[in-house]
Amino acid sequence: MTATLDGLRVLVVEDEYLVAVLIEEILESAGCIVTGPVARLPEALDAVDHNDFDAAVLDVNLAGERIDPVAQALSRRNVPFVFVTGYGEGVLPREFAKRPRLCKPFRMAELLGALSDIVKAAGDVRCADSVT
Amino acid sequence: MPNLPIVGIGASAGGVEALEQFFKSLPPNNGLAIVVVTHLPPDRESMLSEILGRATRMPVIDARDGDQVEAEHVYVLPPSAILTIREARLQLRRTGPADRERAPIDIFFHSLAEDQAEHAIGIVLSGTGHDGTLGLKAIKEHGGLTIAQGSNVTRPRFAEMPSSAVAAGIVDLELPVDCIPERIIGYVRNWGAFDAEPRGDALTTIYALLRTRTGHDFSEYKDRTFQRRVQRRMQVVQTTKLEDYAALLQREPDEVNALFRDLLIGVTDFFRDAAAFQALEGQVPKLFEGNGADDEVRVWVVGCATGEEAYSIAILLREYLEESSTPPKVQIFATDIDETAMGVARAARYPASVVKQVSPERLRRFFVHEAGTYRVVKELREMCVFSSHSVIRDPPFSRLDLISCRNLLIYVKPSLQAQIIPLFHYSLRPGGYLFLGGSENVSRHSELFTSLDRKNRIFRRRNLVARPPLPLQRFLSNLPREATGSERGPGGLVQRSDTLRRVANTIVEHFAPTYVIVDETGQTLYFSSGTGKYLQPAAGPPNRDIAAMARPGLRTDLRTALHRAKETGQRVVRDRINVQINGGVQIVRIAVEPVIEGKEIAYGIVFTDRGPIRTEDEIADAEHSQGQDATVQQIEKELQETKGRLQSTIEELETANEEFRSSNEELLSVNEELQSTNEELETSKEELQSVNEELQTVNNELSAKIDELDRANHDLTNLFQSTRIPTIFLDRNLVIRSFTPPSTQLFNLIPGDRGRPLTDIVSRIDYPDLEKDMRRVFAAGEVAERSVRHANGNDYYLARILPYRVANDQIDGVLLTFVDVTNLVVAEEQQKVLAAELSHRVKNTLAVVSSIAERTLSDGEAKTDLIGRLHALGHTYGVLSAAGWTEAGLRELILAELSPLAIKDGGNVQVDGPPIMLKPQAALFLTLAIHELSTNAAKYGALSVADGRVDVTWSITGDSPPRLEINWQEQGGPKTDGLGAPGFGTELIERGIRFELQGEATLEAVNGSLSCKIMIPGSPQHLTFGSPGGRQRIEDAAS
Repeated sequence: MTATLDGLRVLVVEDEYLVAVLIEEILESAGCIVTGPVARLPEALDAVDHNDFDAAVLDVNLAGERIDPVAQALSRRNVPFVFVTGYGEGVLPREFAKRPRLCKPFRMAELLGALSDIVKAAGDVRCADSVT
Repeated sequence: MPNLPIVGIGASAGGVEALEQFFKSLPPNNGLAIVVVTHLPPDRESMLSEILGRATRMPVIDARDGDQVEAEHVYVLPPSAILTIREARLQLRRTGPADRERAPIDIFFHSLAEDQAEHAIGIVLSGTGHDGTLGLKAIKEHGGLTIAQGSNVTRPRFAEMPSSAVAAGIVDLELPVDCIPERIIGYVRNWGAFDAEPRGDALTTIYALLRTRTGHDFSEYKDRTFQRRVQRRMQVVQTTKLEDYAALLQREPDEVNALFRDLLIGVTDFFRDAAAFQALEGQVPKLFEGNGADDEVRVWVVGCATGEEAYSIAILLREYLEESSTPPKVQIFATDIDETAMGVARAARYPASVVKQVSPERLRRFFVHEAGTYRVVKELREMCVFSSHSVIRDPPFSRLDLISCRNLLIYVKPSLQAQIIPLFHYSLRPGGYLFLGGSENVSRHSELFTSLDRKNRIFRRRNLVARPPLPLQRFLSNLPREATGSERGPGGLVQRSDTLRRVANTIVEHFAPTYVIVDETGQTLYFSSGTGKYLQPAAGPPNRDIAAMARPGLRTDLRTALHRAKETGQRVVRDRINVQINGGVQIVRIAVEPVIEGKEIAYGIVFTDRGPIRTEDEIADAEHSQGQDATVQQIEKELQETKGRLQSTIEELETANEEFRSSNEELLSVNEELQSTNEELETSKEELQSVNEELQTVNNELSAKIDELDRANHDLTNLFQSTRIPTIFLDRNLVIRSFTPPSTQLFNLIPGDRGRPLTDIVSRIDYPDLEKDMRRVFAAGEVAERSVRHANGNDYYLARILPYRVANDQIDGVLLTFVDVTNLVVAEEQQKVLAAELSHRVKNTLAVVSSIAERTLSDGEAKTDLIGRLHALGHTYGVLSAAGWTEAGLRELILAELSPLAIKDGGNVQVDGPPIMLKPQAALFLTLAIHELSTNAAKYGALSVADGRVDVTWSITGDSPPRLEINWQEQGGPKTDGLGAPGFGTELIERGIRFELQGEATLEAVNGSLSCKIMIPGSPQHLTFGSPGGRQRIEDAAS
């Protein structure tokens, strides 16, 4: 069953204002609690260190800097995330090449669907963990 | 008043240390006056006086002009000055930076030597260079004491200065610096403390030691001169008794050498006694009189020492030669017994002090100035032949036009002078000149020379005079002669009257009658009275040969009897000799008796009359009566004839002998000349040998260099072959010197093309300006670069032309390299294509989106707003794309939005601010913000009414970091208190500016009109100051 996004704590990292605002609106409309949007790498890392999230939406390129450190930090904490990018294939951090990706421009449903998928997958893992 | 010893000390690098030690070792009450001369840098204050003041109790002061030198005082030369001394008063001369003196120590020492002579003491301490060596030489020549810092136990920090003095052979004492004061005090104490009358034995021993060791006989030197030199050496070695010194000489052969050198020391200068030389110059034309191109003018300089006198005369002769149209050859023989001095003469190099008397023109004409010394030019040097020659011992030169013997005769005893002057007479041609030194003359030999210029000592040989023959025996044996302290020479025995008295007595004991004493060669030495009967003076020049003087009839018998007496050593008697006398005949008996006295042998010839003088007839009768026997008469007649023939033969023999003697004398002289030339050649040979050795060394070095060169060449060749970059080397005429193999890809080159101009070769690249560029590079020395295309149309090369530099940065040619940049060019092309494509695509996309919006949305505010925002974005994209996606101007962006809304001539819109270029992100975002403000103004604000106006101004603030501040001020519009309800626009401005550009924005109503302030950090990430392409950082533009 599709996980509910209601009350989901989501970190949004995106440097383009209008796009960030759009993502924020979409998530809030689904009931998420949005942290950010954060436009720069230092703030993003800071946010990861000092908060708990259930999921994150990451722009691959932040004003010329790559998102890799943030992705790595989130991965270590087992926080699922989805990339958004204006680039084509092959631009993701290599270790995360298999992670879900959204190409700009995307629709609301696409974003919410992707988010739901990763949350469910994480939840399964967690359930699996707790069973054993 | 006792004489004040003045000590001059010279030092340079490392000298302070040495000076301190010197003064510390100097005891008080030493009675010395000390002058310190060092090499000081010109402009700096010197602390030397203070430093030395701490090392001694004596007052140490900087020398001042006019200071009277006093005992127990130390005077120090200050910087930028030169010191000399006159009558014990210091003379100081300031020097400027232009005439910096390099040898202040030499200058002071010279002056000290001339002023104080034997009361001068010179010391050279640690330092680099050679300053002080010539000065010490001058001190020694004038009789002073010379000391150099030695290197046992303690060393001078820099040994070059003292070593140079020691190497020149003019240092009396070489000591460590702390031993010097003691020796000086000892030396000074001994001044005047000598035996008044030197003991003869000690002196004899000294002469003998000198002769044994050096081969030269100094017993003929004047006693006073000799003694003065001996005394000086005694002072140096600190002995007071002559016997002690003689004993020292026996123990230490080195001291004998030192004494020998001191004896030879003479003061030397060019044109010494300028007036005398000028007088000589006046006589020079006469030397050349009657001499054509085939003749030779010959000169002998006796006692030439270091050669100044010989060269001075050479200059005078040379000057005259050059005026003459048919100059004869000139040969100058310059001799001395001092080999070392002659080495200097042969080297022909003199310090500045010695050429003082040479006029500037002569200096320029005859000398080459080389690093502080003056070298005699080749043509002068070639006129002189230097050789070792003792005027006492060796045969003289001959056929000379001029003999210069200055300041030699004064050193020798009159008896030796009496031998030398006739020698000179022999050596000179008829009418030749003799040039002596001041206070020398030939007054005792006025029959040999006339005086031409008494004051300047120029004499001329008298021709019609009987010269005593040269003592050939002496020259031929060439052995050092026994110096028994007795006086020798022709007629020497005559002066020893006691010997003769004994001889006379002996004869008298045996015989009463008339006698003559002759020597073994038949020269008459002594006549008793009454010899006129048997002897008469021969016609012609006075001849002391007994045979020549014998009266007719006596000669033959006399000669044969003497000869026999010499052979047998026994008395020989001849009887019944008919002597012709005054028309009559005297029958005479002669007896020749050898007499030996010590080592001397003489012969007494006694004449006894046999009866009275008879007439010829009586004699004939007597003979006749003695024997009527015809046979006897016949025999007697034959005997007479034989005697007559014998006489003639003997006379011929005598003549021949005379001629032989002359030839012999001549040959000896020629031999002497050849000897001289030989010595000269030996020296040349030695010089050649050393040059040869130098050449060998140079040769070896060159060989090594060639090996290096070979290796380097091989490296280069290999490098060439291995490189893949076409490289061509051209010389200054753009002719090919060499090229790498890949060059053939670009030019039709074959190996044989080396030596052809590049422009002759067909090229496969499209480079029409190649020659022009090459010439430009060659001329200006700048590198030229150009992108050129291969004729095949596909490949691109970066052609670089560089100047080919050699030593001293001279440009000797050019070199071309071609780097294949095809890939780069292709990539660039691709990039351009891509960028263009991207631009196109983006703009198209926005146009497409606008079109879609247009078609999809129904007319209304939302559509208008959307289309408007899309257009604003599109415009900015266009501007960015045109600038290659780098920047867009702020003013242009603002105007793009406001101009459509302005009234004609822009009356209601004012835009002002410095030129700012925005980076893409900032450009796009601000476009949106400005768009919102503009549309709001047009709809609701100041631009919605005719009287309203908008002023947009911006500036860079002066804070740190600086910021861009944009002010949007509306006026005259409908009253408002904000931007209306919060919407896309307000949010974009208030939140977006902060979010996306890290800036700040405020929207407020000021007097009912909208005012918006936007601040963006002036970081290069967002913007630069200046017009397009002008890269000025924002900080630099802050007002």
